[in-house]
Order: sequence, then structure tokens, then C-alpha cells
Amino acid sequence: MTRKMVLADTSKCTGCKACTVACKEWNQLPAEKTQLVKSYQSMRTFTPDTWSFVTFDENYSISQMHWLMRKAQCFHCADPACLKACTSKAISKTESGYVVIDKDLCIGCGYCAENCPFGVPKVDDQQKKAFKCTGCIDRVENNLKPMCVQTCQTGALEFGERDNLMVKAKKRLAEVKGKYPKAVLYGEKEMGGMTHSYILLDSPEAYGLPSHPVAPLALTLWKDIIRPVGTVAMGGAAAAVVFGILGNALRGNYGPPESGKGGKE
Amino acid sequence: MAVERLNVEGQVAEGKVLRFNRGERFSHWLHVVSFFILLFTGLGVFAAGFHPLMSLVGGLQAARLIHRVVAVIFVLGTGAMFFAGDSRWHWEWLRSAFRFSDADKKHIKAFAAEFFGGHAVYPPQEKYNGGEKINSLLTIFGSAVITLSGLVMWFAPNFPAGLVDWAYPLHDLAMFVMTTAVIGHVYLSLIHPDSRASISGMLTGYVPEDFAKAHHAAWYEHAAENETAK
Repeated sequence: MTRKMVLADTSKCTGCKACTVACKEWNQLPAEKTQLVKSYQSMRTFTPDTWSFVTFDENYSISQMHWLMRKAQCFHCADPACLKACTSKAISKTESGYVVIDKDLCIGCGYCAENCPFGVPKVDDQQKKAFKCTGCIDRVENNLKPMCVQTCQTGALEFGERDNLMVKAKKRLAEVKGKYPKAVLYGEKEMGGMTHSYILLDSPEAYGLPSHPVAPLALTLWKDIIRPVGTVAMGGAAAAVVFGILGNALRGNYGPPESGKGGKE
Repeated sequence: MAVERLNVEGQVAEGKVLRFNRGERFSHWLHVVSFFILLFTGLGVFAAGFHPLMSLVGGLQAARLIHRVVAVIFVLGTGAMFFAGDSRWHWEWLRSAFRFSDADKKHIKAFAAEFFGGHAVYPPQEKYNGGEKINSLLTIFGSAVITLSGLVMWFAPNFPAGLVDWAYPLHDLAMFVMTTAVIGHVYLSLIHPDSRASISGMLTGYVPEDFAKAHHAAWYEHAAENETAK
């Protein structure tokens, strides 16, 4: 299957939150008690049962107040830090561009949650499993749109082939820049290219997103240097022991003390 | 002082010298047993390939729990031995690990040949030779790093995310360092034809006089002097 993409054109978002309800419905996630944490935003962050929510920031950068609204969910990075951090081979990437957690393999260690630059995966402490947006991979692989896209009333969410949609996104960005000069396309190159990309009306920071998201340096050092070097060192020590035993045996050091040079005196 | 202790512990065997008192032996074996349990139960989270092995301890989640319980014993148990009873020799060991004499440096340079079965020439060594001091330092720093990083991992929500990120690689690093050291340590104490005589020191406390003279002549001499002075 070719690489897919969901484009969120936030200039068309009205903040109705239907996408987040549809997500719960399709994925059979229970409702949670919420309250307004800022403006009309009802979730501070993701939970094992809430894989998507809309962020609201009241912005005054143009003549009148406007909302910066963004449907937040897993970006489905092409170069996912969570996958690199996973110790259980539970996280994988699909050809279509989705990053999915295999619930059976997940042990709930939480390394993905700690290393995701966006704090997306959340561990359920009772089940000892990590949860996050699946991208509705079950729908996508059956030629259906993800549930959030299916539900969006304003056309703010669009699903399609990545190559085509990216071209369209750039065209639309040029239009949006007329009213929002600081508008940017977020997700084309970030983290290797994200399946969920955005036309943002302001800088990523204005939405609380990092401008240049990267996997933590500690993760790279851990997986690319400490692991391989440590394994070689341990193997080296074991090999040295084998050679030590051989060396001693060949010199007859294991024989009875009379026959060989057993003692060191 | 070492030899005085012979009488305290009773049964002075002819031709043997007390190297490790009861407290030291207890600390050592507590450290050994807890280290290997921690190493084993940590494998489940280390890599997916070890998941099936975890059924030996009741499954992966059980292994994670055992890992935490034993970690407490590893840290507090061994730590307490520095304050329980007569812990003078514990502190002597700690101090000696940070003091590298010329004799220690010469031992380290020459020792590789002996490790592989050859003959090494080096000056008389103290109770701990240069190589043992390196093993001690790797154990001391390895234990400290693995304890602190483990604490951060265990109570991750109470620490800043930037610190938690670093705890994982440091925990792994300390594990690699200590496991590498332990491979050499086990070889020298159980398998190497010359140095394996030392294992009796960790089992009964006493090492053969011959071994003491050959491997730790400087220490053996103090012990003998102390004995005559008494």
C-alpha cells in the first residue's frame, strides 16, 4: 500500500470536536470526565483512553482575536522515536505510513511514552500496555478513511495519497498565508515526514509544538552507541576468558602441580 | 591486625591466612546473588528475545516486580554492611580501591600475560592487587550509577523528562560495565588455574599461605609482622 497522509488544514477547523468523539466511538474508548483546561480545550494531554483531542490557543497576532485550533493525535512519524525506544518489538511501521503498537507484544515499560517528542503514547498501569492513535489502520487498510476524517464536517481533515496531498497542501498554504502570514506546513520533513501533517496558522511554538522535533539525544546515544559498544565489550570479555582457558590449558597449567608450572613461586 | 582476627573467628588453620572476615563475605555474596537476580530479571525489559525466559520467574510482569524488590536489597543490604558490626575492613577496601600505587600500575600492565596463562612479573601486591582495584572501582561506580538511574526510572513521574531520558542509557551502560567486569571476575576466581585459589577466601575467609605469598606478598608480610608483634 502506498504512503497515505491526513492533512489537517487548521484554517478550516471550527473546533467542533466531532473528530475526537468519532475516534472514541470507532475505537470503543470510554468517555472520561473532562473540564476546560484552557479556552475551550477539554484535555491537557493524551490518556490511554483518549487518543485525540483539540488544542485551543487564543491568539492576537492579527487584528482580532482568533483561535489556534489543532486536532492533536499521534503524528505517525516516518522516523519514530517510540519505535526506536521500544524494547519489545511491539511498535512497527506500516507501508502506508502508520506507526502501530502490537498490544500482545507490549509490556508497558513506558519507554515509548518517555521518548516520544510529543508525549503521545500513554501507558495504562492496570493493563501494563501503551496506547495511542492507531491512525484507524483497520479502516485505512480496508480502503476507508480514518474515522476523524470521515466525520469532519468542514473539510479541515483530508485523507489521501501522501504525494498528491502534499502538493495540494503547499498550494493551500500559499492561499492561507494571505490572511495568516506566519502560516506553516508542519509534518513534511519533521521526524522523517509525518503521516498526520498540518497547515498551521502560526509558528509551531504558538501551538505548543517544537519547531524542529527530534528524538532525544539520550535515545540516540543509548541505542546507537551504548548498546552496540556494550555488547561488543561483553562479548570481548567472554572471548578473552575462552582464550584464557585455552592459553592455560595449552601451557599445561591445569595439570597436577608437579608436572607443570602450577604455582607462581 | 589481620592476623589478630584469626583468633576472633576461631579455628586458625595451619598454613592459612584470613583475608575476608564474615561481614565482608556476607556483603560480597549478598551483592553477587542480588546482582545476578537483577541481571536476569532485567533481561525481559532489555530485549524482546528474552521474554520467553521470564516464565522461569513467573512471567515478565513478575520479573519486573522481583527486579524492584531485589534492587532494594542490592542497595540497602550491601550499603548497611558498611555500618553494621565491625565494618572496618569494608572501609579499608573502599579506601584502597581509590589508591593506585606504582606496584598496582605495574601489576595492571603485566597482568594480561597471566590472564592468558603466561607468566607475569610484578612487584609484591597489597591485599587488593591492581586488577582487583579496577574491578572494585567498576563495581563501586557501576553500582552507584545503576542505583541512581534505576531510582529515576522507578519514580519517573517525579523527575523531569530530560533526566528520565538519560536514566535509560545510563542504566544500560552500568549493566554492561558490571557484566563485563563480572565475566573476568568469575573467570579469575573460579577458572584461572593460579588465581582460583582465592575463592576459598570468599567461602571460608582464609586463603592458602602459598597463594598469599605469591599473589599478595606485601599484604602477607604485614599480616606476618602483626602476628610476630603480637
